[in-house]
Amino acid sequence: MRLFVSGLRKLVRRPASWVTLGLLVGLLVLILIAVGGTASDRVNATREAAAKDLVTFPGAYSRVLQFITGLGGLFAVIYGAAIAGSEWSWGTLKSSVARGESRVRYILISYVSVAVMIGFGLLITFAAGVIAATVGAHLANVSTSGLGDTATLGGLPERLLKGWFAIVEEGALGFTIATLARSQLAGIGVGIAFYFGESFATIFLPDIVRYLPFSVANAALATTSSGTGGGVLGGGVTDVLPPDQALLLVGVWLVGALVVAALFADRAEIAG
Amino acid sequence: MSGTAGLALATRGLRKNYGSRHALDGLNLSVPMGVVYGFLGPNGAGKTTTMRVLTGLVRPDGGTVEVLGKPFKRGDRHRLFDVGALVESPTFYPYLSARANLRELAASGAPVPSKRIEELLDLVGLCDRANDKVQGYSMGMKQRLGIAAALLSDPKLLLLDEPANGLDPAGIVAMRDTLRALAAQGKTVFISSHLLAEVQVMADVVGIIAAGKLVREGPLKELLSMQGVVKVRVRPNLVDAAIKTLQPLAAADRLIESDREEGWLAVHVSADRAEDVNQQLAGAGIFASGLESGTDLEMLFLELTGGQAVGGEGTFVGLGAPTNGSATTGKETAA
Ligand SMILES: Nc1ncnc2c1ncn2[C@@H]1O[C@H](COP(=O)(O)OP(=O)(O)O)[C@@H](O)[C@H]1O
Ligand SMILES: [Mg+2]
Repeated sequence: MRLFVSGLRKLVRRPASWVTLGLLVGLLVLILIAVGGTASDRVNATREAAAKDLVTFPGAYSRVLQFITGLGGLFAVIYGAAIAGSEWSWGTLKSSVARGESRVRYILISYVSVAVMIGFGLLITFAAGVIAATVGAHLANVSTSGLGDTATLGGLPERLLKGWFAIVEEGALGFTIATLARSQLAGIGVGIAFYFGESFATIFLPDIVRYLPFSVANAALATTSSGTGGGVLGGGVTDVLPPDQALLLVGVWLVGALVVAALFADRAEIAG
Repeated sequence: MSGTAGLALATRGLRKNYGSRHALDGLNLSVPMGVVYGFLGPNGAGKTTTMRVLTGLVRPDGGTVEVLGKPFKRGDRHRLFDVGALVESPTFYPYLSARANLRELAASGAPVPSKRIEELLDLVGLCDRANDKVQGYSMGMKQRLGIAAALLSDPKLLLLDEPANGLDPAGIVAMRDTLRALAAQGKTVFISSHLLAEVQVMADVVGIIAAGKLVREGPLKELLSMQGVVKVRVRPNLVDAAIKTLQPLAAADRLIESDREEGWLAVHVSADRAEDVNQQLAGAGIFASGLESGTDLEMLFLELTGGQAVGGEGTFVGLGAPTNGSATTGKETAA
């Protein structure tokens, strides 16, 4: 518990946490308000309808969530890698191990703190997105009556939870990659490469890639009403797994990544 | 492990390789309880590697370690709850203050009462700057904070790896006083250094390591007083005659060692008898072309650190030998 509270405190005070959250919230708010504000200026009716659709509730709830799980996944990879990598780059893991701390406990609890931070970030970004979409709707002269749509609201907790789970899995990948690389910069670099590499590989190896961590994270979030996100590069992924199966694989990747990170840290020679 | 009773720290046959490099090659350390132990060695001798093994950062390839009277093996991390360490360089979260860094570090390992942090900030003289981010700290300030971090759980055994690095003279004096006070309380302080002078002023017991092996170990006083040596250089063809002449001067149980090719002879007498040695030789019609005196410890350490006391061309002077003017460290050269 001591270690968990400390881990959380370290993350809350860390500028990288706020920069990441700020970027995500900033982009989302900017897009929604800009789109809402310019919806009526569109050249043709189709585009105007599309712009208005973005800020129209209850559909706007899904769009906000999709944005967060898409770009947020990439941000989580970078964030996870930064947190794990800096323990090696700064040598702070060394100090705790020399104090008799368990390496496995230290690594796992570090990531639990990251997962909790991701949860806070998700909620904050979602709330900011909903507010921005409401503002956008006003700017676009769209009714906000859909805000209270009970069916959508009722489904939100589950979708937020699944979104959190998927982002946490993506963050764990970055966390583990940086642990193996024992470096913040290398971890972030390789993490980003993996993230985009997987999207590109879909073109050539769709039947394999659909089982890979970022694809299953996206597939797990697919709902019947809206298509899948497909990451930052955008959907079009045809061979996605059914959501339930994908969700299970998200769990497998999450646990697998953390086990690898913990085992590696346990065996690693800290001689840097 | 045999013969380790009463020791705060003991290693037997400790080995550690990095790839094909033997960093530790059968190290046997015996560190008594309640002393300041100076762990001396030139750069690359294996001091940091020893510290890493003792803190469970790396695993040895052979040998045994006992910490505070109990075996220390893989998985015995709880033994480290009684140990405080500063290994190689202090490490912190740059975006946190000194106070916050100590607080977060205290969340791992042995529990630490929160007032301990304030005491330590005061002890290392960082109270005024305790709320500043560590990224703005000078090297010496980080080193002070590293020493505070090592003291967090009020350890029975303190391991400090070259802690004087980056400290200003006042910081070094303060550290020395702190370490002496800890030893007076019965704590054991194991401190590494590549400078004999630094260790000489605070250690009770000294161990010298070179190439991963222990080459001398014992109470500092004994090593300094018993191991006086005067070295003279004569013409190589006169070495035998010189040995005969000087043998009566040498300590009863010690032979004269010589390097025939170079013509250097080491006579084990107290360092202030250099004149007697010279006179004895001259009396026998042999004239020295070089004369050096000091303690064996100094000579040994200088040799190890590249000072080449034996066979060197007057390189003894000014090579990091102590400048505190203690009686046992007199030195002179003649060419
Ligand atoms: N991480 C490492 N990888 C490879 N070799 C190392 C590593 N750390 C130390 N060494 C080597 O081990 C030997 C002992 O180094 P070290 O213990 O750091 O010496 P000291 O602290 O006495 O200067 C040196 O030859 C050094 O080059
Ligand atoms: Mg070293």
